[in-house]
Amino acid sequence: MRRLKIVIFLSLVFIVCFISSFEGGLVITSLSPVLSLGSTGKSVEEMQQRLKNWGYYDGDVNGIYDKNTFLAVLNFQKNYNIFANGIATRDTLDAMGLTTVVRSGAIYAEGKGVSDEQLLARAINGEARGEPYEGQVAVGAVILNRTRHPDFPKTIAGVIYQPGAFTAVSDGQINIPIDPNSTVVKAARDALNGWDPTNGCLYYWNPATATSKWIWSRKIVKKIGKHYFGI
Amino acid sequence: MSIRGKLLDFKQRLQDRKMYSIVIVVIAAVAMWGIYQYKHAAHLRQELDNQYNRAFYDMVGYVQNVDTLLIKALIASTTEGIAANLQEAWRQANLAQTNLGQLPVSQEVLANTSKFLTQVGDFAYALNRQNIAGKPLTDEQYKTLEKLHGFAVSLNKSLNELQNQLATGRLRWNELANKGTKLFSKTSAEMPKEQFENIDKTFQEYPTLIYDGPFSDHMVTTEPKGITGEEVNIEQAKQSVIKFFGADKVKSVDYVEEHSDNTNTIKTYSYRVTFKNAPEDQTANIEVTRKGGHVIWMLYNRPVQGENIDMNKAKEAGKKFLESRGYKNMVDTYYLKEDNTAIINYAYKQDDVIIYPDLIKVKVALDDGEIIGFESKGYLSSHRKREIPEPKISMEEARSKINPKAKILSSGLAIIPTEYKTEIFTYEFKGKLNNSDFLVYINAETGKEENILIIIDTPNGVLTM
Repeated sequence: MRRLKIVIFLSLVFIVCFISSFEGGLVITSLSPVLSLGSTGKSVEEMQQRLKNWGYYDGDVNGIYDKNTFLAVLNFQKNYNIFANGIATRDTLDAMGLTTVVRSGAIYAEGKGVSDEQLLARAINGEARGEPYEGQVAVGAVILNRTRHPDFPKTIAGVIYQPGAFTAVSDGQINIPIDPNSTVVKAARDALNGWDPTNGCLYYWNPATATSKWIWSRKIVKKIGKHYFGI
Repeated sequence: MSIRGKLLDFKQRLQDRKMYSIVIVVIAAVAMWGIYQYKHAAHLRQELDNQYNRAFYDMVGYVQNVDTLLIKALIASTTEGIAANLQEAWRQANLAQTNLGQLPVSQEVLANTSKFLTQVGDFAYALNRQNIAGKPLTDEQYKTLEKLHGFAVSLNKSLNELQNQLATGRLRWNELANKGTKLFSKTSAEMPKEQFENIDKTFQEYPTLIYDGPFSDHMVTTEPKGITGEEVNIEQAKQSVIKFFGADKVKSVDYVEEHSDNTNTIKTYSYRVTFKNAPEDQTANIEVTRKGGHVIWMLYNRPVQGENIDMNKAKEAGKKFLESRGYKNMVDTYYLKEDNTAIINYAYKQDDVIIYPDLIKVKVALDDGEIIGFESKGYLSSHRKREIPEPKISMEEARSKINPKAKILSSGLAIIPTEYKTEIFTYEFKGKLNNSDFLVYINAETGKEENILIIIDTPNGVLTM
């Protein structure tokens, strides 16, 4: 029976691995899991409002899942070829556009809108976290120099997300939450405000890890921290 | 126990019904998991491929349009006809360039194609502006346009070839994208890359100095006008660094090794500076031009706690700093407040004319008014003693060009930079219309409206858009 225990243990380990492999991923969950007869609250109210707007429901928008709401949901489901049971399942809520995308797992930095500053700060964070401050501003400046150069896309997002341009984008490090105490946001601001320690460089690379031979054909202008900067 | 014995033992155990089903379930679960992962990955790959294809086909379409629009512009006989076609060519070239940047082909391979598209766009834009002003194309411009069209045709041809290969499945995007896979690196991956390189080679002969547009190459290499004086050596430049910060504050100044092949237009020395009243790791970086020993930029990254001085005091501190460092007649124009620091723009003023291109940015720490940042690239590249002519039109005439509904709050003379790195002598009017503040610049020689800026006055600063 020892083997049996091992097998059971292994399958448990496997299941845990399996489940945890989804953690941190993008999952879609509804605002409220399932709504059914007797449910109350804001989600019911939102659903009633939509059903009313579309003409399925003519009662009060009161946040109580009563018989009228039940019938309205039933009709809606029939119309949308969803299994009609009068229960607002995820599929139903999906069809109404009442689900929302939530990230589980890792805690993400609070995004104050996707401003250029944030994006630039994230790119600097992914590319030059351990570098001296000057090196961080320099990485930001290279990105901005590229937006002004004809060889490259014209926007900050275009430059950062150009396929293969930055390793931090390719391997997802750009999504690492920004440590509020780190200097990358300040560095991004300084770069946006015109400070350019590289004097117009368009490339940088780490001589220890650079895989592209081509990059060595660039003229080295400066070395800051671990990075070479060049044009 | 021998291996055979173990196997027999295992077989026996399998005969145990419970054990048997558990093994089956585990195998089935692993298989399902594997299938799911595989499908998921395949799905994502497909989606990515679709994105690449969309970008590529879009780009091909836009390049085709550029080709046609350029030939139309060449054929058109009226100024309006040319302008309409050029404007559209500008738009389409921009879109093509945006899509080009999304292809999974390494940047160095695409650089010249990208440059070509940018230049076609900018050239079309510049010509269009000239057309709107009523000036027809010169013979030379016409020839350039013809030449650009020739390149557009050949780019179009190469792209069509590539498109055929992609459409028939002889080429795949992931072969281009997966540079790491050794399997493809020698055979198929080389081929498509070469294809793109071929496209690119066509443009290598492309003349770099053909027009005066904003992105043209010669702009990158503009001679800095404000860098004057004799060559200085490392030691002399170090002295000017100490003077810049003040000898009483500086603890040490270390020269930072430069690479010898520094071919930038502005040659510099870099230093790292530590201070007496600050921890060792809190350093400032500063760069000094080799010619004349001018400070081109300085950044002192120190934490700034609290806000003890107001904007007026900060502006004063900045001005005093500039004056003591030899920058006379600077007036503050705009500012931005972030994280207890203020970045203040100062422009040079000559005989009551504000010269905006001669710009110095000063970063003031709002806890004690210390200067923690300095940037003078604008000033160094354009500052000189200018011959400012008498305005040809009067202030009243200029005023009459502005929407009469607007309320004018103040006015003055100013020299403003253009996107072509030239300068225009203008009247500057600050006014208000429908509760938004604005600045209007009227050419002091022709009376033409050159620029309109909207002023955004926020608690964090005065910005323009």
